[in-house]
Amino acid sequence: MSTLEAKFEDLPEDYAALGGRGMTSVIVANEVPPTCHPLRIHNKLVFAPGIVTGTSAPTSGRISVGGKSPLTGGIKEANAGTNFAQMLGRMRIGAIIIEGKHDGKDYYLLKVTNDGTEFVNANKWSGKGLYGVYKELFSKFGNKVGICSVGIGAELLGAMAGVCFNDPEGLPSRYAGRGGLGAVMASKGLKFIVVDETGAPGVEIANEDIFKQGATKLRDALLNHPVTKPGGGLNSYGTSVLVNIINEAGGLPHRNFSSGQDDQAEKISGEAKAEEIKKRGGVRPHFCSPGCIIQCSEVWNKPGGDPVGVLEYESVWALGANCGIYDLDSIAELNWACNDLGVDTIEAGTTIAVAMEGGLIEMGDGKGALDLLEEIRKRTPTGRMISQGTEITGKVLGVTRIPTCKGQGFPAYDPRAIKGIGVTFATTPMGADHTAGYAIAPEIMGVGGQLDPKDPKKAEVSRNLQLATAALDAAGYCLFVAFAILDIPEGLVGIVETINGVLGANLTVDDVSKIGKQIIDVELDFNKKAGFTALDDRLPEFIMEEKLPPHNGVFDVSDDELDSVF
Amino acid sequence: MPIQLKLFGDLRKKAQDQISGTSSLKLKIDNTGFKKVLDIMKVFSIKEEEVSHIFVNGSYSGFKKNVNSGDIVALFPNNMGVLYKWYFNRDEDE
Repeated sequence: MSTLEAKFEDLPEDYAALGGRGMTSVIVANEVPPTCHPLRIHNKLVFAPGIVTGTSAPTSGRISVGGKSPLTGGIKEANAGTNFAQMLGRMRIGAIIIEGKHDGKDYYLLKVTNDGTEFVNANKWSGKGLYGVYKELFSKFGNKVGICSVGIGAELLGAMAGVCFNDPEGLPSRYAGRGGLGAVMASKGLKFIVVDETGAPGVEIANEDIFKQGATKLRDALLNHPVTKPGGGLNSYGTSVLVNIINEAGGLPHRNFSSGQDDQAEKISGEAKAEEIKKRGGVRPHFCSPGCIIQCSEVWNKPGGDPVGVLEYESVWALGANCGIYDLDSIAELNWACNDLGVDTIEAGTTIAVAMEGGLIEMGDGKGALDLLEEIRKRTPTGRMISQGTEITGKVLGVTRIPTCKGQGFPAYDPRAIKGIGVTFATTPMGADHTAGYAIAPEIMGVGGQLDPKDPKKAEVSRNLQLATAALDAAGYCLFVAFAILDIPEGLVGIVETINGVLGANLTVDDVSKIGKQIIDVELDFNKKAGFTALDDRLPEFIMEEKLPPHNGVFDVSDDELDSVF
Repeated sequence: MPIQLKLFGDLRKKAQDQISGTSSLKLKIDNTGFKKVLDIMKVFSIKEEEVSHIFVNGSYSGFKKNVNSGDIVALFPNNMGVLYKWYFNRDEDE
């Protein structure tokens, strides 16, 4: 970005078998000084489709975005489902690396085609909400392009700024949201990447037979599992099907992590949302990227008919229950504002809740919450504070119940009720991240053996889940395939066969955790060199001392157990 | 004191022919000798394979979990089996 030059390079042989999170984390570890300032010239931003992304393998349209995080200070990978990812795969682009820093106040758009690249001055699309800008960009570049962008939150260099991708309707609603990577992109002077795949050769597949065999096995597993099949739980209710379940478990954080259960949760459940979409119009089910069988996404419309996009479980929780807001239209307005401003819905929700506890607005005040987000658009001091996320906002306002780990706001699971996930929040190199340990049971992975449900070894569960998740993130599969391949082991065999088919490799199911371990070792090493120690793998004091209703538990996993995860 | 049963999603059809709305179906059932979650399920002809998650008083539980008067029992259908179940202790009695 320093010289506004872009070039294609052959993929080094060492990187040939990498994809997704494996690619981004290895490049960041190799090329970014761990102690660098995340918003200055030495940081890099890396985009990488998964190994099988762009093929006909089902539910594999994921892209990873990596860099050093301004929110956590450590290595970061955030991913999203979008056709932008599939286009990169079909163009045989293993990674896009954004480096340097434009010296000036202009913003740029990078256009990538099969024939080359071009920088376009993007000032006229800067300082504006992304819903309107996406319409203009599709109008200018055509409806078949893929768009990646950052919003006003990133222009402020806010640590809650995400990297946004288009959904199939062209809405700015698919986010690699976590960790402030949007701010990294804006810090370099880059606002948009537009990809046009016309003439793309498609993903090179070394062994078509093995690939097709694997894709069929995975497809069969997804089509036959009650959670993932058409008409199944995710397809019918979306990810918010979790609201009632986690609430029933007493682990759905309400009102800034002050309670784990509230009868009002049913009003914002996946069931309620699906029913409302049926009544008022919208789209459900819906895919985030073509070729997905699960199709857990949706398009939620405002009462007047304007589309918002998907309301994910984490967003509904963060902007809803966690803020004491139990009205889907209010939540959708907040979600729309986050998308328009280019900020992560989870971090925005945990930040607003902390601001409510700090007295900036009343708990449960939906209008006030929207006004707070609009402060970002106005670039006021309050807006700048909010844009920096939960921890900074909490400190400024004198709040002591700040739900963060490594500076990143907790997702929608209270570690006092769900202690195993607390271990993952504490120990993942990513900062508090629910997706870091959302994958395959240890029994399936064949590492660690059968667990005694009465006495689970939490460190072992967390470690195995994190390893499996890292491998899935590298392959480019959506984590929700885990539900099917947990119960239908042939599905996991199918995943490995699709990877073998693309790479011409001979991996087995036993290699999956090894791939994950290689990735996480690289990430842990980066964080260690950035100054992280075991003391960073700890949850905040209130989580260990304040009892969470209704079970009145605290997080009591020992430091020794946390330290034994990696 | 009755047991409160909460049925979610399609399991509501096991207790009511006509389902409207999206809220869970909350029933109060007299404890006429129920010992286990399974005993309650039998009353409504709910099979084990039709259930994904069970909570008794908010604790993640198994089919053999003991139930007592005043307990709250929540059952989710198999297509809602989306819990991070590996992170939970499953409360079960012999």
